[in-house]
Amino acid sequence: MTAPKTALMSAALALVLLMPPPAHGAASAWSVNDPSQVRLITASKVASGTGEMWLGLQFRLKPGWHVYWKNSGDAGYPPAVTFQPADVLGKPEIQWPAPQRFDLPGGLVAFGYENEVIYPIRARLQPAAAPTPIPVSTPAPQSPGTLPNTLKISADLDYLVCQADCIPFRYTLTLDQPLGIPAQPDPETAPLLQAALERLPKTVGEMTGVTTEVALDASLSTGPDLEIRVRGARAEAGKTDLFLETNDALEAGRPRVKVVPDGVVFHVAMKPKETNKPLPAHTPIVWTVTHLAANGRPFGLEARRDVQVSTGVGGPPTGNAPLPPASRERLARLLLSAFLGGALLNLMPPVFALLLAELFVLRAGERGRVREGAAAAATGTVGSAWLVALLAIAAHRAGMPTGWGAQLQEPVLAAFLAVLAALVALNLWGVVEVPLAPVKSPVTSVSSSGTSRHLLAGLAATPLALAWPVSLLQEPVSYALGRGPATVAAVFAVVGLGLALPYLLLAVMPVLLRVLPAPGEWLPRVREGLGFLAGAGAFWVLYALSRQVSAEGIAFIELALLAMSLLAWLRHREGSGRTFRAVLAVGLLACAAGALWLADHNRLVPRVRSAADLPTTLTTNEQFNSRRLKDA
Amino acid sequence: MRRTLLSLAILSLAAAPVFAGNAVGDAAPAFKLTAMDGKTYSLADLKGKTVVLEWANPNCPVSLRHTHEKTMIELSKQYGEVVWLGINSTNPNSGDYMKPTDELAWNQKNGINYAVLADPTGATGHAYGARTTPHMFIIDKNGKIAYNGAIDDDPPGRKAKAERIGYVGHGLDAEKAGKSPDPASTHPYGCSVKY
Repeated sequence: MTAPKTALMSAALALVLLMPPPAHGAASAWSVNDPSQVRLITASKVASGTGEMWLGLQFRLKPGWHVYWKNSGDAGYPPAVTFQPADVLGKPEIQWPAPQRFDLPGGLVAFGYENEVIYPIRARLQPAAAPTPIPVSTPAPQSPGTLPNTLKISADLDYLVCQADCIPFRYTLTLDQPLGIPAQPDPETAPLLQAALERLPKTVGEMTGVTTEVALDASLSTGPDLEIRVRGARAEAGKTDLFLETNDALEAGRPRVKVVPDGVVFHVAMKPKETNKPLPAHTPIVWTVTHLAANGRPFGLEARRDVQVSTGVGGPPTGNAPLPPASRERLARLLLSAFLGGALLNLMPPVFALLLAELFVLRAGERGRVREGAAAAATGTVGSAWLVALLAIAAHRAGMPTGWGAQLQEPVLAAFLAVLAALVALNLWGVVEVPLAPVKSPVTSVSSSGTSRHLLAGLAATPLALAWPVSLLQEPVSYALGRGPATVAAVFAVVGLGLALPYLLLAVMPVLLRVLPAPGEWLPRVREGLGFLAGAGAFWVLYALSRQVSAEGIAFIELALLAMSLLAWLRHREGSGRTFRAVLAVGLLACAAGALWLADHNRLVPRVRSAADLPTTLTTNEQFNSRRLKDA
Repeated sequence: MRRTLLSLAILSLAAAPVFAGNAVGDAAPAFKLTAMDGKTYSLADLKGKTVVLEWANPNCPVSLRHTHEKTMIELSKQYGEVVWLGINSTNPNSGDYMKPTDELAWNQKNGINYAVLADPTGATGHAYGARTTPHMFIIDKNGKIAYNGAIDDDPPGRKAKAERIGYVGHGLDAEKAGKSPDPASTHPYGCSVKY
């Protein structure tokens, strides 16, 4: 132990020794039995007597024994406690620290805590009933027995402590809580409670960048499957675990855990509890995931979701059964979202830039070939949507985070999107001759290039659009990925059709193109201007990437993109010799590949610490400043 | 492909009765067990009667509390038309195991006058998915599980007996009235079954 720590602990110990006897302190006496001991603590040496007050049940257990979480699992039951005076304390609520799993003989499993645990308890003091707190500086009236500024708290506690065997205990724990102004944290118990509060599972709202997804698929022949995904956090194989609260309709099996680069995926076989009743359309799923880490800090995560029980939409591959009407409506709604979302993607800067550039090419071309070109571009767009669908299916199969928006969480893919947007920008600036749109004056160059160029422009559309987390697409894509490849193909086809909407309209009514002004000398300027839109797209992706990759990584990726641009510019300006041009082209590709490599090797990997590394005591002069304690 | 799927479907149909489940609505798994007094009980012989199964273990303090409070003893008397059976699935290697003769004597001493069946292999316990002592099941007259869960809503036994919601008592009332128990499934509590 380091010297300062020892000194602080001695100081803390001295303070503890100087404390008033337990009856007037922030802790009850220990109630002791063979396998366990328990006491009631409060956070305050002097409590304000108004608002919120934190208490705790502190257990110490003999090795091998455990007490329970709110869902005790296959056996046991959680502790139950009632407080007096109820007219002052109201109904205090137990907060449940993240539990662990105990395997019992016969394949049974229990959820709870071993060694030492504090259950924090939050009381909301009833304003009218509390004894009046008096300023601490004023000497308390010295009447024997009860002090008028003391709250006598008693807790009737029942708990079951189990090894393989179980023993129930019942105690009444009492302590006298001094009330006064200003409130003072207790130097021994406040840090204990603080540490216990820090070990409570966090909600998704408290963890920026962490998202969860839940799906309950009851259409499988093997029985309902619950899938819970956590993204934006680091999981630890063999440690990260899922704990479900009991559900009225479904019995949960043992979760299967799959740790993925960006988080963790759980699958739980669920069994209907009552086979003589249909499953409800919705059911609350309440869960806690333990042993996650983000930004080097370990945490547990808890969430409650009202989950739709999906039964037989589309059904197993053989099913020709008609869809139930509600599901059919949902499918129609999701397909509409997919179409609108796809159409909306056209407005995203690089996509919009490419679209406008392409429209100008069509406008400048032969009138008779507009229809052909537009159809080719539309085909390319839908085709690229299908390519992306294949990628999504493969990623989903590999257990990687999938869903519209998840693509930006994969550094390599995000870096690819940045390179792609940069290439489109360079192309529009006339520096790179990717045959997406002509480099020379559109007036002279277009029509001969034929449909393949338009096809290519369409093919680039969906990958470019991938950089935009349009919320309309999230539900259809997640839903499709949960249903299987056929649904994914269908949904992505509809997204592609939405994205190809401008081309489709042109294919039907080529005359619409006349809305655009006839091409003139200004056109190259507009194209170059559009290049900046595409560049903005690259910057957006870099911003998204900055959450996945270290700052140094981002800097090097930016340098790679800059070098790529420089080589492209050199090649365009000075590239007269064939060898020189080839070398520059190879360099350009190497820079692009380098950006991807840098993204992969600079992933933000939070340092994973176990919960045991968390401080169990805080220094005595540290403010008792947990947000949870104050305002949760 | 189609043939494979068809045969799979047939297989799953064929397998269904084998996997008589422990969910409410499932056919109750058959059993033939010897009681502590040596008599043999078979579920098949009890067709047409409402049966209550109570997983018990005299060495479990939670089971013991209900014995002292006469929770099951009084219920089994109150619903005399129901066949009430205790089942002890404790593994003979467990410290909680009692020889049938000892358990019979203990039961008689403590007023347990319904049959308690020995399931030392745990096969019947596993078939029902019995997890705790006590863990309660009601089997209706058609041999289907009508209730699966706790005896009442008070795991630590904090409430006065009259204030507890007796799930099994309510379930038996419903059965008597030709209705389904509500709730039909609850979370059982107690010691783990010592398989």
